[in-house]
Amino acid sequence: MSKRIGLVSVFLAAIAVSSLLFVSPSFAEVVLKIGTLSNDANQLDPHVSTKSQDKILFPWVFNGLVRFAPGSADLSKIEADLAESWKSSADGLTWTFRLRKGVQFHSGYGELTADDVVFSLNRASKKETSTAYKGYADFASVSAPDKYTVKIVLTKPIPSLLGMVTNYHGGYIVSKKAVEKLGDNFKTNPIGTGPFAFSEYQSKRQVTLVANKDYFRGAPKIDKIIYRYLPDEASRELAFKNGELDLIYGTREQRWVERIRKDKGVKVDIIGLGELRTLHMNITKGPLKDIRVRQAISHAVNRDEMVAFVGQDVAQRSISVVPLGYLGNTSDVPLYKHDLAKAKALLKEAGYPDGVTLKVIITKVASLRVPMEILQAQLRKAGIILDLEVVEHSAFHKLIRQDASPLVLYGAARFPVADSYLTQFYLSDSTVGTPTAITNFSHCDAADAEITAARSEADQTKQLALWKTAQQKVLTQTCSVPIFEQLIVWARTTKLDYGFEMKNSLSNGPILNEMTTLK
Amino acid sequence: MSLFPKAGGLRRTIRDTIRVFNRNKTSWAGLVLLLFMVSLAVLAPWISPYDPIDQNILERLSPASAEHLLGTDHFGRDILSRILWGARISLSVGTISVLMGMAVGTVLGILAGYKGKYWDYMIMGVMDVFMAIPTLLMGLMVVAVLGPNLVNLTIAIALTVAPRFARIARAPTISIKNRDFVEAGRAMGFSDLRIMAGHIFPNILGELIVMGSLWIATAVRIEASLSFIGLGVKPPTPTWGGMIREGFQNILSDPWISIYPGIFILITVLAFNMLGDGLRDAIDPKLRNS
Amino acid sequence: MLKYVLKRLAMAIPILIAVLTLVFVIIRIVPGDPAMVVLGDQASAEALAALRTKMGLDVPLIQQYFTFLFGAFRGDLGASLLSGRPVLSEVMTVLPYTIDLTIAGVVIGIVFGVPLGVLTAVYRNSVTDYIIRVFSLFGLSFPAFYSAILLILIFSIQFNLFPVISDPDLSNYGERMNHLVLPAVNLGLIMVAYITRSTRSSMLEVLREDYVRTAKAKGVPRFVVITRHALKNALIPIVTVIGLYLGVLIGNSVLTEIVFNRPGLGKLILDALSERDYTLLQGVMVIYAFIIVIVNLITDLTYGFVDPRVKHQ
Repeated sequence: MSKRIGLVSVFLAAIAVSSLLFVSPSFAEVVLKIGTLSNDANQLDPHVSTKSQDKILFPWVFNGLVRFAPGSADLSKIEADLAESWKSSADGLTWTFRLRKGVQFHSGYGELTADDVVFSLNRASKKETSTAYKGYADFASVSAPDKYTVKIVLTKPIPSLLGMVTNYHGGYIVSKKAVEKLGDNFKTNPIGTGPFAFSEYQSKRQVTLVANKDYFRGAPKIDKIIYRYLPDEASRELAFKNGELDLIYGTREQRWVERIRKDKGVKVDIIGLGELRTLHMNITKGPLKDIRVRQAISHAVNRDEMVAFVGQDVAQRSISVVPLGYLGNTSDVPLYKHDLAKAKALLKEAGYPDGVTLKVIITKVASLRVPMEILQAQLRKAGIILDLEVVEHSAFHKLIRQDASPLVLYGAARFPVADSYLTQFYLSDSTVGTPTAITNFSHCDAADAEITAARSEADQTKQLALWKTAQQKVLTQTCSVPIFEQLIVWARTTKLDYGFEMKNSLSNGPILNEMTTLK
Repeated sequence: MSLFPKAGGLRRTIRDTIRVFNRNKTSWAGLVLLLFMVSLAVLAPWISPYDPIDQNILERLSPASAEHLLGTDHFGRDILSRILWGARISLSVGTISVLMGMAVGTVLGILAGYKGKYWDYMIMGVMDVFMAIPTLLMGLMVVAVLGPNLVNLTIAIALTVAPRFARIARAPTISIKNRDFVEAGRAMGFSDLRIMAGHIFPNILGELIVMGSLWIATAVRIEASLSFIGLGVKPPTPTWGGMIREGFQNILSDPWISIYPGIFILITVLAFNMLGDGLRDAIDPKLRNS
Repeated sequence: MLKYVLKRLAMAIPILIAVLTLVFVIIRIVPGDPAMVVLGDQASAEALAALRTKMGLDVPLIQQYFTFLFGAFRGDLGASLLSGRPVLSEVMTVLPYTIDLTIAGVVIGIVFGVPLGVLTAVYRNSVTDYIIRVFSLFGLSFPAFYSAILLILIFSIQFNLFPVISDPDLSNYGERMNHLVLPAVNLGLIMVAYITRSTRSSMLEVLREDYVRTAKAKGVPRFVVITRHALKNALIPIVTVIGLYLGVLIGNSVLTEIVFNRPGLGKLILDALSERDYTLLQGVMVIYAFIIVIVNLITDLTYGFVDPRVKHQ
């Protein structure tokens, strides 16, 4: 026995000595190490996944026909990407795009042609292959008159059509050949035309991207991106401080931002578009059926305290059920003010003089759980007790779609047009539990007519007016309490320079492209 | 009754225990620490300086001061008050889960040992299956299934503890059941229940108490671990493990938020371990005689 | 003897089946929907239903159960619902990390635990004994996640000696060792505590045995008595310590992996649980169940060889 222990120690000593000899050789390669949220990729298929950790990566790998200027999410400043030019017919029903020539897909999947664009847009509009399909419902056909021309015919005019073919969700152009060849494996082996090409996916660990030397805007200056999944915020921060990571998804709180800003060589980017945190109230069940109880909750919520908690730089008070910066957002709505006395009076009037207890389900994920705990403390002051049940994130998403929670705190950023938000959260078609369900947790049905009419309204002024009425009606029915908008925080070493000002992004993360450098 | 020489075992065990307690400073230290923790838990409503769930956003993450002896957490809640109230959760989950597990496990173990044959195979078979899954993983799965709250947490730990007690109870039952005094009892027409409860149980009580206190130590640790993983009780209920988890977010700037509750877990677990160790010395005849 | 081995083996199989069944049942009760996890929160109910069919989640439960059970015994654990990769290859990717960690933890435990245990037994009731016992009690009482946090605070943040995230490139031995140090020490310290205690109690027993007393009486030097006669015999129960503390080892390695963000079986389980990746969770539990049943079998057999009384029970 003792002989064996001796052997073991000799072996250990050998390992220790050999480890000193194998010091990692240094490469001249420029490697960008990123720490992102979540513990794993979900699906690296841009038409399917709507998860932050996946979305962040898509604009690095894929292009759209047109794009938002890097670092912006402004619909009025859309620029050419895979398409060089475009025009629409006088009736707004036919759009023609001229493609850039010589654009190559990654990994030898050949030149991008109109066929790939037709395939991609058709793929994006089918519910079997895309989660964005509802947005493309008014597409009559997409065709390729020649190798570099794409024609889109609509059933009715869509004023914001360019938005549908940007580098966002269904607008990403994938390689037809790659999707057909890889089949199910495409979701872990994405092939696009972007500045960075997919190289390797290690589940629960990381995705490796390499520079696309043939990128049509020029070869990127970063050779390799290691995109690490690190669900724990503290671990990401520690690793970043230790220099193990160059760029991290930060904690979206003022205190965190201020603390990490103090460190030398660190730059913090606070990126829009923010996610609107809204408390949805199920108007069909239990005490919340009574509008007075819903009004009481609306009055008990203290937006200022919430913003103070999250912080001025990272949070904004919301002014309506549609987020700030979205086309159609308005402050001309009946928003409830913080007023505890009124809240208590309303509860009493509704027949709950001793207060009311609601069993509420909330995710483990801090970005929703922490504000929910603050709401819990705020509502307690008005006599509304929230019995919080904390569940896994996926369980949360399942349960709230089964009406299991009368109050649903939800945070979301959508395409920055009022329609996307109103349709998904307040149209009765989207009510959870129905076959066409999306995320209407409140069973709101007050503004169906306006939301539907606005969608195909060609006159922008009339469209805006319809959206305004819709927002007013939703708040009058008291379907939800919009609380605050939380921006997204990324911290990077000052050695990393995006090459442009990083203000807004639809991907929840920074844009990395051929302009980005790492010293 | 003189037929049952072991009937007075309980009283003698207690006398022996006190004697060895006196010889063993560790167990005294354990007992004192434990009583200290228990009194903190019991007195929490009176000695806590603040409401443990009252948020004060403006005063959040403030360092230790005269107003907040151990500072405040990320919601501005008083850490000391949360620790004191957290003691109630830790101690009650730890104790109740082990008592539950002990009760179920002991009954099953005695039954298996006393009845033998297929009773033995069935019961111990099921127990072996439960034992095959490590305590933490079992707790993790059960809480994930039932949902994280106080009752489920207690049940989860009890489930993992019960088989250990079944094993502890079974072996001595087998060796005792064939002894003269039990045979005699049976000959006198005593029911199985009476024999098991009246004569086998007192004989294994000593060992049960020792293992009980050692398992409470483990249970407190598991409760803290599950809370740390995020499978603890509902917010805003304070638990030590949960406090460490929440403090971990700010570990770089305010490490004390995590460190303080950890110290209390450590002391509590240590107290039960010391106590169990001391009692083991008191009851284990081999050690007692040497 | 062969009969005993066969009997134990025959007993291990139903236990394995029962454990697999338990795992299968527990996992199915867990709320949450893997299809939702895959498609994200904007997916429509129709798309979710379509994916569920594709994942094989709408097949009757009993059919899923038998597919799972027979697969497990053929070594086919299916494919992860989320990544689509075979569960076995997912496990194999992280297994080296867990093996590194557990072996390092056990080695640290034995290298320090055995001598300390001998020391406390030989100098029973001395100051040395007292101090070491208090330390080992501390070791037993430390929740693994707390000690891990303290190690990070001290050695990663204060002194910046080791990385916070233990996720080395396995082909780079320097990095592999460097990343292993803190997690291994964390697991090792706890094992030291357990092994010190079990060494102490088995040494105490052996020291009382007649042959040791005889040797002592015959004037054999104390050191020789301890190492040659006593420790040699006391080591046998120590060998089975691994079996005895397997649960402790697994539980603490899970917590260690979580705090250090180290890939491994434990972290895989937790991830699978939170993502509702049924097949992956099942697969990892099957691997654990196999390991546990086999280690227990070996432990039992070792006892059987050493102590003939066990066989006849």
